[in-house]
Amino acid sequence: MYKYVIKRILFLIPTIIGVTLIIYFVMNLTPGDPGRAILGSGVSQEDVDAYNHAIGYDLPFFQKFLNYLGNMFFHGDFGISYVTKQSVFNEIWPRYITTIELAFIGMFVSTVIGIPLGIYAAVKQYSATDTVASLVSFLLAAVPTFVLGLVLLFFFALKLNWLPSYGIPDWTGYIMPTLAISIPIAAQNFRFTKSSMLDAIHQDYVRTARAKGASERIVVWKHVLKNALLPVITQIGLNLGVLLCGAVVAEQLFSVQGIGSLIVARITLKDEPVIIAGTILISICFTVVMLLVDLIYAFIDPRIRAKYTKKRG
Amino acid sequence: MKIKKLFTLLLIMTMAFTFCTGCSSDDTPDTKTGDDQTLYLRLTSPLQSTDWQQTSNLDGNKITYIQLFEGLYGMDEASGGYYNLLAKDIQVSDDGLIYTVNLVDATFQNGDVMTADDVVFSYNLAMENSKFGYVTSMIDKIEAKDDKTVVLTLKYPYSAISHTFFTIKIVSQREYEETTASGGAFGTAPHTAGTGPYYVTEYDVSAGVKLAAYENYWQGAPAIKNVEYRVITDDAAAVIAFENGEIDYLCDAPLSEWANIEEAAGERCSLVKANDIQFLAINYSSPSNNGILANEKVREAIFYAINKDNIVQASTNGLGSPAYEYMVPEYVATSPKASDGKFATYDYNQDACHQCLLDAGFSEEEIAAGIPVGTILTYPSDTSPKGKAAVVIQDCLKQNGMIAEVEIRESAACSNDLYGQNYDLAIYSDSGNYDYNNIRQMLHSESVGMYLVNYKDDKGTFDWKYMEDLIDQGVTATDVKERYDIYTELWSYAMDTKTLLPLYHSAVGIAWSDRIKVEKLNPMYYHLTDISWAE
Repeated sequence: MYKYVIKRILFLIPTIIGVTLIIYFVMNLTPGDPGRAILGSGVSQEDVDAYNHAIGYDLPFFQKFLNYLGNMFFHGDFGISYVTKQSVFNEIWPRYITTIELAFIGMFVSTVIGIPLGIYAAVKQYSATDTVASLVSFLLAAVPTFVLGLVLLFFFALKLNWLPSYGIPDWTGYIMPTLAISIPIAAQNFRFTKSSMLDAIHQDYVRTARAKGASERIVVWKHVLKNALLPVITQIGLNLGVLLCGAVVAEQLFSVQGIGSLIVARITLKDEPVIIAGTILISICFTVVMLLVDLIYAFIDPRIRAKYTKKRG
Repeated sequence: MKIKKLFTLLLIMTMAFTFCTGCSSDDTPDTKTGDDQTLYLRLTSPLQSTDWQQTSNLDGNKITYIQLFEGLYGMDEASGGYYNLLAKDIQVSDDGLIYTVNLVDATFQNGDVMTADDVVFSYNLAMENSKFGYVTSMIDKIEAKDDKTVVLTLKYPYSAISHTFFTIKIVSQREYEETTASGGAFGTAPHTAGTGPYYVTEYDVSAGVKLAAYENYWQGAPAIKNVEYRVITDDAAAVIAFENGEIDYLCDAPLSEWANIEEAAGERCSLVKANDIQFLAINYSSPSNNGILANEKVREAIFYAINKDNIVQASTNGLGSPAYEYMVPEYVATSPKASDGKFATYDYNQDACHQCLLDAGFSEEEIAAGIPVGTILTYPSDTSPKGKAAVVIQDCLKQNGMIAEVEIRESAACSNDLYGQNYDLAIYSDSGNYDYNNIRQMLHSESVGMYLVNYKDDKGTFDWKYMEDLIDQGVTATDVKERYDIYTELWSYAMDTKTLLPLYHSAVGIAWSDRIKVEKLNPMYYHLTDISWAE
């Protein structure tokens, strides 16, 4: 099994190089340059070129790319921001942590709400609870984060004055951004879990378990849930990507200083070091979570485990 | 059993993580209740630097240019002029080349006395920075005559030198050199190197910034002792924060939310005319539709077809004002005034538009069918004021026998085509002009990469030499009346080319809480020293 884990961890390296190359390539394709973006339209092209030269922006594509990779892998140096002249790592790390916190709390909340409700709705199919939960989930899954966020701001910050509309001054600051990003995901989790459970409930082995006299609790928890959760776990991992994207919107709306809003702001200024470092950190986070999902999958699914476990005798 | 245990473990770990993050300590004060002794303001994005040379957006400049640092001159935005600030007085030689500056008795926030060496050091720093070439290129040298006197020599007489005296800020040479000598980059941390009324106490590039009053400020201690800037990027969220009492002073309030702001603030809000201009540029050399825009009568027809009132309504919720001059005369003393009637303004006139199209050689049938005049290019989004203006102009043209497409692109993607004259019609903006000399960047052939219309062509379409001669005369003339006449003549010729049409000036919404009193409202740079606590 350890071979599988090592293989997946090693796979991170080409992933990071690939992400960096793609970002560099895309940034290279987009028009504009940091000199013009930072100095403004009232400055001559000569001065803009001089600025770009001073920050090393005009180096050939592969030279810039290899310099960046070398500094990142061998010195842990993500460079200096073109805009603020500060260390990119120092600038983005606190924001990265904030975004990751939001995304993980969002993942936890959406899982805790969506999955138990999905299980209950599947077990009690066609009940009033199932009908209401299904209807509400349809509605909530369709509501964009920024609409939900504005509604939350209006009621909880402006009308009720319970929660701060700005930033994360204490734990209360997490409530609205987390709800805004996790509620649509919770609704999707609910629907996914329910359909996965219903698929499993109608399998032959469940009928067999019931025929053998197993209690409904044993049938649901031991036979149905075990099999139904396999695709749900993958979905939870993939949700992190959606939550990271949703976190960008929530960051903007609730003035949370996260990495998403920083990247969006710096794209217009062509601040390559910040954009690339931010994207790399997000991709590392996403890849690590997907690795964890695969590991959990391997633990749960004997077919995958068998592939990597040494055959005995 | 193994799966059950695994899930239990995962659940416990996730809960523990959530608990830890949710309960993580934070230094930010209680924003709900706020602090009675602190004034709260909004920043639309984090402050990029505490060095005035490094801030590149207006939000940042409002802090570094006014609150932290000061120049030899201050700027009276409301009435369009400059006043002595760190310069006690300035004598100019007869040839207009030598400026002798006597300095006031000011101290830096670190306690050091400001000397002529600090001024020389600051000017030299700015002269080495290409970003400030537009205000330093005319300076030959600057020298300290004694501790309190500086002599500035120009390469040629330059009438807009006042804006240089405002723009270049004075920094403490000792503190600057100590910071850089220790390996730090000036501006990346709080400092006390300015002479302004406030200094930075807390600064984090990923969050907000806090200021404290400089009690020994040479013009007297400010009334507000503590200021905190809160980064709120979303306009709607900023208005909610203001209504919720989390922001005390909202400058440049979103006009789309103005009705809500008025309702919340009552008498404590005001609209000020912005120091900006949104204008239409026509690329007469565009090859579209067999070079139709080279036809002067077609360009004139386009000018007459545009209803500026409709644009003001769509782009500024009716809060802006139609524009006829390139710069706002209220803020720029030498700006030509439409009220003088010395240049064409091309007011909305359907009959005149129709006649121009007939004069251009089009038949009634062609006009009825719609004459394609190309694409209206602008940025940054279709919901932005310029995006809305493009749609209104498209509709105006349609109603007057012309057809145009609208193309809206991201700013960086758009600017290359605009500066390269690769467009048909374009909506563009300019702002923060306080001297009419800045018109050079739009009309002079040396301003490559800045102008939208290239008047200097091989075909001799326009008398570009005449325009450039007027620009040169304007910058060397020292008499205000003389400059006004020169610039009026220049703008009159520019309007006769039918290539640049001013569309509208925006409005700046300012609102404040009942905790404070505000003495003066400016379109761009507010002064924290104009704010005090309400009785």
